[in-house]
Amino acid sequence: MVFDFFRKQGEGPLELIESQIGDMLDHCQVTFGTAMDTLIGGVDPSAVGTELRKTDREINRAERAIRRELVVHVSVRGSAVDIPSVLVYMSIIKDIERIGDYSKNIFDLSNEGIDLSDAPDLDRISGYRQRIDRLIVDTARVFAERDVDDAHTLLQDGDDLLDEYDLIITEQIQSDRPAREAVPRALLFRYFKRITAHLLTVMTAVVMPVDRLDYYDEDKADRE
Amino acid sequence: MSLPEPATRNPRLETTGRLLLVVGLLYLFLVGVKALETGINAFGEDFAASLFEGVSNPIAGLCAGVLATVLVQSSSVSTATIVGLVGSGALSVLTAVPMIMGANIGTTVTNTLASLGHLRQSQEFRRAFAGATMHDFFNLLSVAALLPLELTTRFLSRTAATLADALGGRRELAVEVSSSPIKDAVKAPVAVVEGWLVGAPDTVIGLVLLGLGLASIFLALAFITRNMKMVMAGRIEQSMNVVLAKGAGLGAMAVGLVMTVAVQSSSITTSILIPMVGAGVLTLSNAYPVTLGANVGTTVTALLASVAAEAPEALVIALTHTLFNLAGIVLFYPLPALRRVPLNLARGLAELAVRRKSAVAGYVLGFFVFVPVAGILLLR
Repeated sequence: MVFDFFRKQGEGPLELIESQIGDMLDHCQVTFGTAMDTLIGGVDPSAVGTELRKTDREINRAERAIRRELVVHVSVRGSAVDIPSVLVYMSIIKDIERIGDYSKNIFDLSNEGIDLSDAPDLDRISGYRQRIDRLIVDTARVFAERDVDDAHTLLQDGDDLLDEYDLIITEQIQSDRPAREAVPRALLFRYFKRITAHLLTVMTAVVMPVDRLDYYDEDKADRE
Repeated sequence: MSLPEPATRNPRLETTGRLLLVVGLLYLFLVGVKALETGINAFGEDFAASLFEGVSNPIAGLCAGVLATVLVQSSSVSTATIVGLVGSGALSVLTAVPMIMGANIGTTVTNTLASLGHLRQSQEFRRAFAGATMHDFFNLLSVAALLPLELTTRFLSRTAATLADALGGRRELAVEVSSSPIKDAVKAPVAVVEGWLVGAPDTVIGLVLLGLGLASIFLALAFITRNMKMVMAGRIEQSMNVVLAKGAGLGAMAVGLVMTVAVQSSSITTSILIPMVGAGVLTLSNAYPVTLGANVGTTVTALLASVAAEAPEALVIALTHTLFNLAGIVLFYPLPALRRVPLNLARGLAELAVRRKSAVAGYVLGFFVFVPVAGILLLR
């Protein structure tokens, strides 16, 4: 490692951190997809549980590694450090890590015996799964490319998604369905909402100043 | 937007420019050492001898080394100056050895001061202060073990002299000093200044060259450090991340050494460690070998300074500095029981510092200012 010291420098430290953030989002896509497969795709939870938890631990490990690297970055650069970037990275890795946690919560539903693979509203749930899956991919791309225009469009679409989840959650809470049917759906859409909100927060880093980062983590009525 | 846009400047062009600037600054550094040496010589032998008579006592010399380094906040500056003084013949190797050891102790004040930034958070401060003072204790223990041994046996300076002979330094320097193109290039600007001062009293010539020499050494090292830190920041980060991932060991020691050679300042290397230790991402035992590597890396400055010096003894004292630090590592690194001594002392002091903040002020002022001043005044 010492002889590499003076050799040509590869990626800069912040570029490296961004690439790790991209990897974290890839892992989130895997955990989310795996969890949804067990809930609506008929996959046996016991067959994929170990792998899902392993991927989630990868996300957690990456979060801790990025934090350490940011401490190193600040220590080495001192006053020359790019403070807003460090604050943004420190904040959004927490959001990404939470996406892994909510995916695990979805998996826990199927692990508790919930199976929606033959549910009458399967198409609706499947549709939202695909939209979230696409949103994870788009978030990674918009973040990496700093695509401000796409970020604005996706934030607007994501905001509409949050409204839709709220309506579905309210519908489940007020429905006359048995608890075994309504509760898992209310919980699932609550998890969808949290995952979407965390993805939108990651995207706000591309278009908003540091102090507005958690804007999408709040309900609309609570936003300033 | 909070995130950085892609860079618009050409980093390779900027790096090349900075590296060229560093080459120029290295030349200025060597010219500074030469000017210092010539300036001291201009005062005449009697003056130079009387100037350092006060530090002929080894403990007084040790204290002078500590104090001088604390004042200039750089062991590179103080050791390069000592090498220049030895090169001029004003200081003997025997007198300079304790001063060099003192410079090693004095340089630790910088990271100790850096640790005070964590004073408000007890947990952080406990770790950061221990991280800083383990360097103090390592140097103090090395001096306590090696200075008496050196004074009685001269094993460090004799080994350095043998090494200098083996390297051909002493023989070549003694036979034909002017044959080195580096020495010729370094002498030229000093000769120009001397030409301007023709007819002036020796004292004036001495003072002007001494002032220019010290200023050149100080400025050159300050700007070399600043530029090299900017050029190497990415590499330093990557290396530190490797240290964090792989932990302690000889690799970490090598990282500390190479980082310090690159930026020409052990204070930069050790001060970078403090926030990491304070934040808890780097353990004390993993930071320890990096610090020891930095201790050895900083001796390269004195070795560089010896290139410009006239007398062969300059190389001997520079090599003594390197050997002293290597001997310290041999004493306080391989055996776990001895390795733990400076770490445990640092932890103990940090514990006390957290409980009683007055102990921090007492330690910094006492260890780095009052004791050295008292030592010089009482033992000169």
